[in-house]
Amino acid sequence: MSYTKQYPMQFTGRGGEYFVIWIVNIALTLATLSIYSAWAKVRTLRWFYGHTLLDNQAFSYLASPMQILKGRLIAVAALAAYYMATFFAPMLAVALLVIFLVFLPWIVVNSLRFHARLSAYRGLRFDFTGTMGEAAVIYLLLPLLLLPTLGLILPYMAYRQIKFIAGHTVYGQTAAHYQGSLKPFWGVYLLSLALILLPIAIMAYGGYQAYQMQASGMPKEMAAAATGTFIVAGMVAFYLMFPVVGALIQARTANLLYNGTVLGPVGFTSSQRARDLVWIFLSNLVLIAITLGLFIPWAKVRLARYRAQHLTVTGPQELGSFVAGQHQASTATGSEMADLLDLNLGLT
Amino acid sequence: MSRFAADYFDGQTSRTHPVRAAVEAGQLHVQGESIEFAFPLDRIHVAPPAGQARGVVHLPDARELHSADHAALLELSRLTSSAHPERWAHLLESRLRYALAALVVAVLIVFVGLRWGVPVLAEGVAHTLPASLENRLGKESLSLMESIYLSPSALPAARQHGLAQQLDRLCKAQGCPAHRLYFRASRALGANAFALPGGTVVVTDQLVKLAQHDQEVLAVIAHELGHVERRHSLRLALQSIGAGVLLVAITGDIGSFSDLAAGLPSLLLQSGYSRDMEREADGYALRWLNAACIPPRRFADILNRLNKTTPDAVGLLSSHPGTADRISPFLAPGPCP
Repeated sequence: MSYTKQYPMQFTGRGGEYFVIWIVNIALTLATLSIYSAWAKVRTLRWFYGHTLLDNQAFSYLASPMQILKGRLIAVAALAAYYMATFFAPMLAVALLVIFLVFLPWIVVNSLRFHARLSAYRGLRFDFTGTMGEAAVIYLLLPLLLLPTLGLILPYMAYRQIKFIAGHTVYGQTAAHYQGSLKPFWGVYLLSLALILLPIAIMAYGGYQAYQMQASGMPKEMAAAATGTFIVAGMVAFYLMFPVVGALIQARTANLLYNGTVLGPVGFTSSQRARDLVWIFLSNLVLIAITLGLFIPWAKVRLARYRAQHLTVTGPQELGSFVAGQHQASTATGSEMADLLDLNLGLT
Repeated sequence: MSRFAADYFDGQTSRTHPVRAAVEAGQLHVQGESIEFAFPLDRIHVAPPAGQARGVVHLPDARELHSADHAALLELSRLTSSAHPERWAHLLESRLRYALAALVVAVLIVFVGLRWGVPVLAEGVAHTLPASLENRLGKESLSLMESIYLSPSALPAARQHGLAQQLDRLCKAQGCPAHRLYFRASRALGANAFALPGGTVVVTDQLVKLAQHDQEVLAVIAHELGHVERRHSLRLALQSIGAGVLLVAITGDIGSFSDLAAGLPSLLLQSGYSRDMEREADGYALRWLNAACIPPRRFADILNRLNKTTPDAVGLLSSHPGTADRISPFLAPGPCP
């Protein structure tokens, strides 16, 4: 008899069901001048969590709308103060920007902590124990080194972000460990770089060919037309590459995150594929455009379902032996600030 | 109330306890294998169910009941919590018709707010802002425009001076809002004139050259003084800020949709605002010209000539009302002999 068991992650929500929730959320948000957006957010997350099943038990989202609303108001006030300052007193704005940068680690840690503490499974909450010091290194210092290292630090930065997020996650009392290494991150980013360079190579090749043709006596107009074709093809390929590279990085990073994480007796297997995500992203984009946005709920559900279907938890025969940790309160300000600024914390 | 099946978690471990629960005499009774307890309804909290997702009942001491029995959970949530906004959500979500109707009403509210609410608000704010701020805004905008569109005027100093003096004389006679007149050359803007916050009025060389009479230039300046008098430029800036803030606030939670939607409505509404403003400025110009004993025809003449050189489309996107509509009031002879 085997001691471990495979638990596939499931997502049971349907697009049509979410569509109604989504459209009512939009309506009430519009009608209340966006005050309701806090309730809308909680409702949406509660729906997504409640449809995400592991071992036939759903995840639960515990934030209260009032918490979100408070955090959102504080975040909006801070941002408004900053914009007013840039408008009326540019010097003050510089000072505020410095203050904001000092606060960035706080925002990062608080956002991750809020997200974790208000997520629960089987009655036990998650927590996040990363420190501001480490956040400062990963989200302030390393990005500063991007330019001087010509971006070569990017794989290391991504690795540290994932390690920071996964390695400091706690479920109940059980702390997760991140055992992944840096090397596969280099693979992801070198491949991405190659994909981005490909269209540029096409254009360069086109230019070289045209030069050759002209040298061998071809009329100028024909050579120019050939060059133009290559350049247009290169540009098209260049723009198409962005979603492709985005999907590649997302899929591979998610896999690296889960496959390298161990939570006590539990391990994860994530098997997302870049080409699947590319297909989902592009087809979603086309359908959203055709339906003037009405397809958005189905698009989100498709993505959630794909992600759930490609995640499997390997654990003991019974998942009931995790023990609760201390309950700690958390405020939504950092999280809302991060949302508002579209901060990419490396979460996928 | 009927019994419902649920999974109970004690908040201490992740163990699942299948239980049955029911409300009796104001208490929620929970029963399962070696489990039996009850809580008064005012100590439990039901997370309002969303769609068909599993629902959670929060009991004291971080204990939870999870259930997929939505009817029972909904009933329980009605019994326990006071009125909260999600009641509305429930009602609207119950029928697709309600949901769509709610959306239509909400969109109407926003449209009315943007079309009429924001302009009224902007006008109010424009009158409370200190003049020094408005002047600074005007200076900043002018230097910005100078760096992008404008170059120093190539008109002879005497010509500039002559026009400015004529304007001064008329303003002394009949009063004008505080203003500063600038001549600038601009290839990008062509024959044009515009008013910036704080009374900065810019006239392009090309416009002066297009004019066949000094009074035509003065008529255009009179129109711009109308914008200055009504603080249109500041109001427009405030309106676009207000509309932007509103749209961002509203669409903030809608996600990617906002990218598609954010730009378009504000653009359409923008042209609507300034069309009203053009009419106001035209009205001011007509009164001003009549008071100065300049034939109102001068404005019609230069407008016609402008129209020939730069054909402007009449439609949603054109910020000026159709030229024919605009010039008709100026065709009537003025009160002066």
